[in-house]
Amino acid sequence: MNYLDLSIKEINKLLKENKIKPIDLVNEAFKKIEDNKDLNCFITLNKEGAIKKALELENKEVDNILFGIPIAIKDNIVTKDLLTTCGSKMLSNFNPIYNAHVVDLINEKNMIIIGKCNMDEFAMGSSNRTSFYGNVLNPCDKTLIPGGSSGGSAACVSAGLVPLSLGSDTGGSIRQPSSFCGVVGLKPTYGRISRFGLVAFSSSLDQIGPIARNVYENALLLNILCSKDERDLTNVETEKEDFTSLIGKDVKGLKVAIPKFYVSDLIDKEILDNFYKVVSILKQEGVEVEEVDMKYLDNAVCLYQVIALGEASTNLARFDGIKYGYSYDDAKNIEELYKKTRSEGFGAEVKRRMMIGSYLLSGPNAKIYYNKALKIRKCMSLEFSKVFEDYDLIIGPTTTSFPCKLDKLIDDANKSFMDDILTIPVNMAGLPGLSLPIYKGKNNLPIGMQIIGNRFDEKRVYQLASFIEKKINLRGENNE
Amino acid sequence: MNRLSKEEVLHVANLARLELTEEEIDTYAIKLKEILDEVDKIKDIEVLSDEVMISPNDNICVLSDDKEKEMLTKEEILKNAPKKYADYIEVRGVFE
Repeated sequence: MNYLDLSIKEINKLLKENKIKPIDLVNEAFKKIEDNKDLNCFITLNKEGAIKKALELENKEVDNILFGIPIAIKDNIVTKDLLTTCGSKMLSNFNPIYNAHVVDLINEKNMIIIGKCNMDEFAMGSSNRTSFYGNVLNPCDKTLIPGGSSGGSAACVSAGLVPLSLGSDTGGSIRQPSSFCGVVGLKPTYGRISRFGLVAFSSSLDQIGPIARNVYENALLLNILCSKDERDLTNVETEKEDFTSLIGKDVKGLKVAIPKFYVSDLIDKEILDNFYKVVSILKQEGVEVEEVDMKYLDNAVCLYQVIALGEASTNLARFDGIKYGYSYDDAKNIEELYKKTRSEGFGAEVKRRMMIGSYLLSGPNAKIYYNKALKIRKCMSLEFSKVFEDYDLIIGPTTTSFPCKLDKLIDDANKSFMDDILTIPVNMAGLPGLSLPIYKGKNNLPIGMQIIGNRFDEKRVYQLASFIEKKINLRGENNE
Repeated sequence: MNRLSKEEVLHVANLARLELTEEEIDTYAIKLKEILDEVDKIKDIEVLSDEVMISPNDNICVLSDDKEKEMLTKEEILKNAPKKYADYIEVRGVFE
């Protein structure tokens, strides 16, 4: 029996009725991971820990809907005594001494951590090819990239190895691989989820978020990830909410904006055609959809270069070969220790980004570029706020194109961020954004659309997403 | 000039505490200049005010309670250190 193919609600019912045990789910997950080893979704499996936890749960009451459900965690989220590499040689021997806040929350709900997902090194990349541990394959077509940086997290849910996973998103790292692998991925509002224990890339943009097979299950996971944590000062205290509460509610009368930039000729025509099919369904159902001008959106790549890479170059300064991680053995002095450790421990993409970040923050550049970027960021954010005065949600495609072949060369510095032009602005403004699989395009590849909400309005994002999901019924299943 | 000088590249590499091969120096001399040219256009973007956005949140200064807390133990802190000596993390000499 393939229990993991059932909905979480159905699994929960079977657990409650004692028809299956958590260990059945764990064994099935490891069997599926073994059968799909070629996908390379995981860097470390938590086999011993997961089995131990599953057996412990046999004596406990099934007290919540996620009880006993297997989950995979991106490998930049620290797990106590479980190897956390960030996809890098630098942390190939790093066993964290504490859990990330989200990992504590997952453990409290008695979910079972199956393993740590492969990812682009330090979350730097959009194809999963910068991982020190080899690339992940896209389960929809194994010759293609799965997207990134949360490629392992998206691919393992897409392939049905686990029902849920955690990713992190700095410029699209949850939404883009979710789109490429045909799963539902949410980047929550900045501050919604504690980043304590998320290895920082760009601290003002990073956010942890859930990846699931459908909208309802994505919301179930978000439900347990939000609790005030004093260890992350950017974590915002919010009232306890049920993010599933608007799922299934009528969308008639909702006002939705499409920024013209999101439907420009930079976007693949087939992706746009399919996106417009959804737009026409929404209009038929009484959703008011209008195009809007947002003039700051097309600066996303520039802002990302300056802000994300600037923050990254300072954040990654902590890897010095002294406190933890890779260390060059034969250094004569401390400078040599730093330089040799970092040059040997980091991969090419990480070094490239640190060079760019350091350059753009050095000397007069900081004032010329960094300060200006922060002013433009403010304008971009105000522009979003202005749109949300008149509209409930913003929609567009998630990506500009379909995933490329694994063997296609990684493009040059500026082009490599072009894939993320539709997702980066959401991080800049700190908004929630969800990628929803809509139709299938050429060669049966999934197409994702992005639904962006106002700050802390994830509920409404889920409302529209679940409505579209039900209308299109892509997976042919009832999600509630 | 469509490339940075070798000295400029080495200066940046030193800031990032990275060692570069001759080949990498050559590549970065061109790449960094390309990126600067691309990023340079932000100079001309009109902004509405001088207000900057460092974080999406209004950072409210939060003070911790002045109470003892359970922190990490010495063993935990030393656990991942590549070089140890007794209860210390061993570091190469900072002063020659």
